[in-house]
Amino acid sequence: MLIPHPLLGLRDAEEFVYLGDASLMQRPDPDSPTALTDFCDYVFLRDNPAGVHRELWFHEQGDRSWLVVTRNTLTHEILGAELATDAARPTVTQEPSA
Amino acid sequence: MPDLTPLTALGHDQPQSVTYGNLTMGDCPDLALASLTLRRDAPVPLPFGLDLPGPGGYVASAEVAAIWTGPRQWMIEAKAKGCTDFAAQVKAQAPDAIVTEQTDGWAAFDITSPDGAAIGRLLEKLVNIDPGTVSPGTASRTSLHHMNVLLVRPDPCCLRIWVGRSFAGSLWHAVIGAAARQAA
Repeated sequence: MLIPHPLLGLRDAEEFVYLGDASLMQRPDPDSPTALTDFCDYVFLRDNPAGVHRELWFHEQGDRSWLVVTRNTLTHEILGAELATDAARPTVTQEPSA
Repeated sequence: MPDLTPLTALGHDQPQSVTYGNLTMGDCPDLALASLTLRRDAPVPLPFGLDLPGPGGYVASAEVAAIWTGPRQWMIEAKAKGCTDFAAQVKAQAPDAIVTEQTDGWAAFDITSPDGAAIGRLLEKLVNIDPGTVSPGTASRTSLHHMNVLLVRPDPCCLRIWVGRSFAGSLWHAVIGAAARQAA
């Protein structure tokens, strides 16, 4: 399996370490009143989709960057890869106009 | 009087060299190495006048070279400085960067051949990376026999492999084994 590294091109999946669901990057707010249940879900609950899945891969034997890889779990087709630092950047959401 | 002659990574007091066919390989204990990392938003320095390369790049002057190892991270390599405090010299060139001595943590091996294609054929046996991308002026960090290595291609006739010093014997075994089979 080859992973299209955004900086280095196609690299063997053996160079990477798989680190699970990319939604782990959205850590709940510990000061929220619902923090206890939010963290319970965050730590223990995972979707296990048959199909397209966004997941974290670490380029351990390469440039040591974290990637968010979109993979089809049924076919193992890699649909895209981006640097986790880019994926984690807050996106500007448009406030709905009154 | 105890013998305080430093040993090379392969455990000898002199660098080793072996030739199979048109491939010659040996260790390079005289090379110095230091890592250079930039803090977020820090300006990119020009250590020793080197224009630090982008992803997968390798830039060299006569004595010093820079190897890209990750976003905002490089290894700085210098000839004939293995016995000096090279990190201090790099730090003097880039005072705002994070510089760490790496010379004794890594060992370098040069594989040379008048026929650059022979080095490409050896790479096909050793690493799971397209040999065409290991062209002159590039550096790749990858895995070789499950060891983490830095492949540097200073020129078409030379491939340099940096590996963790404790893996030097295993890397040497892997490389000369592949070269011997290629020459047979």
